[in-house]
Amino acid sequence: MARSSTSGLTFKLHPLVIVNVSDHYTRVKTQLNPPASVCASGHGSNNGEALIQQNPRVYGCVIGVQRGRTVEIFNSFELLYDPSTQTLDRSFLEKKQELYKKVFPDFYILGWYSTGSDADESDMHIHKALMDINESPVYVLLNPAINHAQKDLPVTIYESELHVIDGIPQLIFVHTSYTIETVEAERISVDHVAHLKPSDGGSAATQLAAHLTGIHSAIKMLNSRIRVLYQFLAAMQKSDIPCDNSLLRQVSSLLRRLPAMESERFQDNFLMEYNDKLLITYLAMITNCCSTMNEMVDKFNTAYDRNTRRGGRTAFM
Amino acid sequence: MEGSSTMMARKTWELENNIITVDQPDSNDTIFYYDDTAQSRFQQEKPWANDPHYFKRVKISALALLKMVVHARSGGNIEIMGLMQGKTDGDAIIVMDAFALPVEGTETRVNAQADAYEYMVEYSQTNKLAGRLENVVGWYHSHPGYGCWLSGIDVSTQRLNQQYQEPFLAVVIDPTRTASAGKVEIGAFRTYSEGYKPPDEPISEYQTIPLNKIEDFGVHCKQYYSLDITYFKSSLDSHLLDLLWNKYWVNTLSSSPLLGSADYVAGQISDLAEKLEQAESHLNHSRFGGIVPSSLHRKKEDESQLTKITRDSSKITVEQVHGLMSQVIKDVLFNSVRQSNNKSPNELSDTEPMITS
Repeated sequence: MARSSTSGLTFKLHPLVIVNVSDHYTRVKTQLNPPASVCASGHGSNNGEALIQQNPRVYGCVIGVQRGRTVEIFNSFELLYDPSTQTLDRSFLEKKQELYKKVFPDFYILGWYSTGSDADESDMHIHKALMDINESPVYVLLNPAINHAQKDLPVTIYESELHVIDGIPQLIFVHTSYTIETVEAERISVDHVAHLKPSDGGSAATQLAAHLTGIHSAIKMLNSRIRVLYQFLAAMQKSDIPCDNSLLRQVSSLLRRLPAMESERFQDNFLMEYNDKLLITYLAMITNCCSTMNEMVDKFNTAYDRNTRRGGRTAFM
Repeated sequence: MEGSSTMMARKTWELENNIITVDQPDSNDTIFYYDDTAQSRFQQEKPWANDPHYFKRVKISALALLKMVVHARSGGNIEIMGLMQGKTDGDAIIVMDAFALPVEGTETRVNAQADAYEYMVEYSQTNKLAGRLENVVGWYHSHPGYGCWLSGIDVSTQRLNQQYQEPFLAVVIDPTRTASAGKVEIGAFRTYSEGYKPPDEPISEYQTIPLNKIEDFGVHCKQYYSLDITYFKSSLDSHLLDLLWNKYWVNTLSSSPLLGSADYVAGQISDLAEKLEQAESHLNHSRFGGIVPSSLHRKKEDESQLTKITRDSSKITVEQVHGLMSQVIKDVLFNSVRQSNNKSPNELSDTEPMITS
């Protein structure tokens, strides 16, 4: 079930989808296990029974765009699915799709999502049901178990492929890799919520500190990654691990990309921009000085006003 | 993953800014529970009817913030609007989710309400089926590039809303300033009813308003008050966001705020120049009026005008310098790689002046 996909499509996932799915799951879970003793029913559970479901499964659709070989998943919304009868509420899906089309006319349904630890056989039913909307839907699976030891995002993306098993062509799920894609605004708000950056003006010092801390943590990550690579290479040199040529090729190509930009025009542009910024700083400082001087002059005038009343002396400056 | 120094820094910051982190992961999520009976009781009691300043705080969920900012940014330079769903909790309004409305522009907003209402009703119905039980508690819209405040039309719309759809909240987002400054520009407001004179309160946070909008801002700024905004997220959200950082640091390092906001900065600087000219002409008038006490007041006004300009200019500069710092850091990291047998030592001397100042 966990083979790698061979379709060659690249998948890009936006953080909004991840937060959406997690929010959906948290909501359903909290509504099922209410703090008061109110029995509420959510979908994905046995209706009518006040069972404490620790890990309810939630289902939904993911939408986005597919341009050529790149599939970009932007957003998601919930679906109604009854696991006991294994029916998907079609009218609901269509209504929701219509609503989302009005606001995001470019997006269309790319697949569906669910929570759980592994892809199930029963998931194939939903997958097939969606195949009439999109011939090759994707299945995004989020594992809601909070495991502090794990370093990787518990999100996996599956595609379906037709394989011949025991002589019968069957659809099975295969893994695909994906990258996290983000726009600037998304990144800032995720950063804001994740790391609780100072939201208000604060002093210039706190802003500077926040900005530099962000960059610092990013550089630390880069450093640790490079260190891992370095240790790996050193071990290979000592023949502790067998030589992996493809990996060596990748590392060498990575190294060959540095320095990133070496053209003269880049240097010129860089210096020009640098000078521009320095100029802005200079102008701001001049404005600041003018304002301070102005204040000082006014205070001077007010203080020494009485002495210069006679003699028709006009403004000091 | 985090070093001890960052932990210390974060803890100090959290202390300074009164962040209340709930230790038990479970109780953190109780905010997600929608208690129907308690909410309807609150609706009937209407404690806000007597106190125009009743609601003081806003709690926005991570999801709602993300959705609103992404939607606002996707609109580019056009104002967009949407609705927020949530509930109330004492004197706080809690925003759990947000969704976009298929309307654009400011002038057409009053007419577009009919279309938007239909969409809203359908969306709320489908949401309730899908397990999102909250009601609409407010609306948000964007002011791309000109700050978070309520314009005249906004004030009248919100007044109407507060008459018929209480409890209701107005949120304004500025996606351009968010992208340029690197922090989220958002404001939450509630209007006073007409004729109500609020007790004079100092403006909480100063923000620069472009010259063509400053009149609109000034006329109405006393008719509403802003609420404090805090954010919350579920335990699963925090966990996922922490892990997300593993993939994400690449974007942080590679982001170039200078490139994206060049237009906006140019606009800001020209606006600042105009304000400076205005201030200068004011200054000239009062100068030649002689040193008469009545002109002292005008001088005070001009001075504060000049200080405002100074503050604006420093803000612009600070943002630019931050962007520049990122560029220089990236340059040092990725461009000044020197191998031992490098054939171009003159490039080394070129990079030196960039770093040493």
